[in-house]
Amino acid sequence: MVYLIVLGLYVAFVIWTSIRSLRHAESMSDFTTGGHRMGLLLGIGTTTATWVSVASVMGIPGYLYSNGVSAIIGWVAGWFLATALMPLVAYKVRRPEIPARTFPEYIHMRFEPFRKVSHLRTIVGAIMFIGYFLFVHLQVVGFGIVFSTITGFDYQYAIFAFLIFLLFTSIGGFWSVAATDTLNTLLIVLGVILGGASVLAATGGLANIVDTISATTQPTNLGGSEIPEGSMISPVGTFGLGALLAIFMSNAVGSIVSPHWVTRMLAPRNVKVAVLQVMGSLLVLIVIFIPLIIMGLGAKTLIPSLPADQTTDYIIPLIVQEYTPPLVGALTLVALCAAAVSSANSMLLHCATSLYYDVYLNIFSKKQITEKKFNMNLRIGMFVIAVIAVVSSITPPWFLAMGFTYVYGGFGAVFFAVVILGLYWKRMNRAGAYVSMLVGLFTYIIAQFLNATNPFLIALSASLIGVLLVVFFTKRSPVEAYEPYFKAEISQSTKQTILDIQKNETDPSVISDEPKITKKDA
Amino acid sequence: MIIALMTWFTTIIFSMVLGTYLCFRIEKHGVKRWGATGRLYQYKQKEGE
Repeated sequence: MVYLIVLGLYVAFVIWTSIRSLRHAESMSDFTTGGHRMGLLLGIGTTTATWVSVASVMGIPGYLYSNGVSAIIGWVAGWFLATALMPLVAYKVRRPEIPARTFPEYIHMRFEPFRKVSHLRTIVGAIMFIGYFLFVHLQVVGFGIVFSTITGFDYQYAIFAFLIFLLFTSIGGFWSVAATDTLNTLLIVLGVILGGASVLAATGGLANIVDTISATTQPTNLGGSEIPEGSMISPVGTFGLGALLAIFMSNAVGSIVSPHWVTRMLAPRNVKVAVLQVMGSLLVLIVIFIPLIIMGLGAKTLIPSLPADQTTDYIIPLIVQEYTPPLVGALTLVALCAAAVSSANSMLLHCATSLYYDVYLNIFSKKQITEKKFNMNLRIGMFVIAVIAVVSSITPPWFLAMGFTYVYGGFGAVFFAVVILGLYWKRMNRAGAYVSMLVGLFTYIIAQFLNATNPFLIALSASLIGVLLVVFFTKRSPVEAYEPYFKAEISQSTKQTILDIQKNETDPSVISDEPKITKKDA
Repeated sequence: MIIALMTWFTTIIFSMVLGTYLCFRIEKHGVKRWGATGRLYQYKQKEGE
């Protein structure tokens, strides 16, 4: 009953915040990047909440439970290294006076600035759509596990409750997502600290946890094979060095060039806020991850083996229910829901924006729509994608954390060159962008199918070799392509090129509502 | 376990050092639009400045 009351209060607050935020979403730029005017505190809140997903709060403790401290290197350190490197992207991508509004628009501006229809942008939009659909799908799975634990509904029905959260937090666009994200961050911090303290008390302290994981040979699932003694305390665990390095690199390098992180760096009011918001978020993340590590490792002391039919993603809901007081348990489980919602709403926004704005409107650039209609169509798109994501989650296919690693690896292989070289190397050009993305994508898929030890590293190497082979034999980028990322003051032709690309300023495909409103008022 | 925790702490320290260096670079450029204010961690001008 306590669980349901706390959950009900959370739902009410999410709905209230979302409806209040609706009035902020006026222009297209507001909807996608918050009009590039976000302050530091909101930036820290929304960055942290997007960062902390079900893969962090359920997947990581799950891997800590089954593989021990090696998960700290593979996932926690991997993602923290990514966070450490994100300011390198922020430092450049937020420099232009008129920044891109979406990641594919950045690709258009940087590599095909004079093309009205950018095929590169269409390809990026399509790849993003697939990647973010998988991310939303994984959040639905995590949410379903927690929501079924709280309410007692079957997982297959519990996942449909996710639609309510997603709709309310996504309809207002970026500002709605940012506002609920800040609330979610506070909830996640409170929930995991209380949960971690309860687990620490139940296990008898850190020394007991370390003693248990040093000596245990208990299988992860009842009836499974025993784990080698000492493997949970080993830095490479049962992964092996090669596999752990692959996981670490996919999470670290793949995350920094993931489109949602690049877009997050476009939202702050200036470059310094973009850098500081990442540093601030990292401090909050330390406070979140210490209890999560205690919970994941402590779970092995409390529940040596899981039931045969449950994955390790269930371990946190199980120990919270069994070993924490009802109010603490309710807060912790609602925090897990918040983690799912806060990541999914942001990713749903990217998923729909990439499909509608960067693929559909880019191809059919002659269509005339108002900003109001643009926002409405985007909302409809989000709803349809959310429904498909929920239906596709009825049978969950992957472990949560590993699912994220696959997608991050793919993003890293495809987007590393266009982001990092695009921002730091003037010579990086259109041909290099095509080659790096296509070679990276196909090599990653082939390497995954062949079960290579480090598909990400293979694909990234192939992509970078491809870039070096074509860049020096093809035309240099025009100054309009790279100038905004290298100079504070840009030429008039560069300014005009940017305005030409950002259609609602100069192109009839997306027209502002302002003239109509003025006319009506007159 | 110590190796795992040290790897994690190293990434945290690296993050703070790199972020600070980039703030320093912004100040060195002195472009107000990028957030240069004359102070390393201050990102907007105070009233009257």
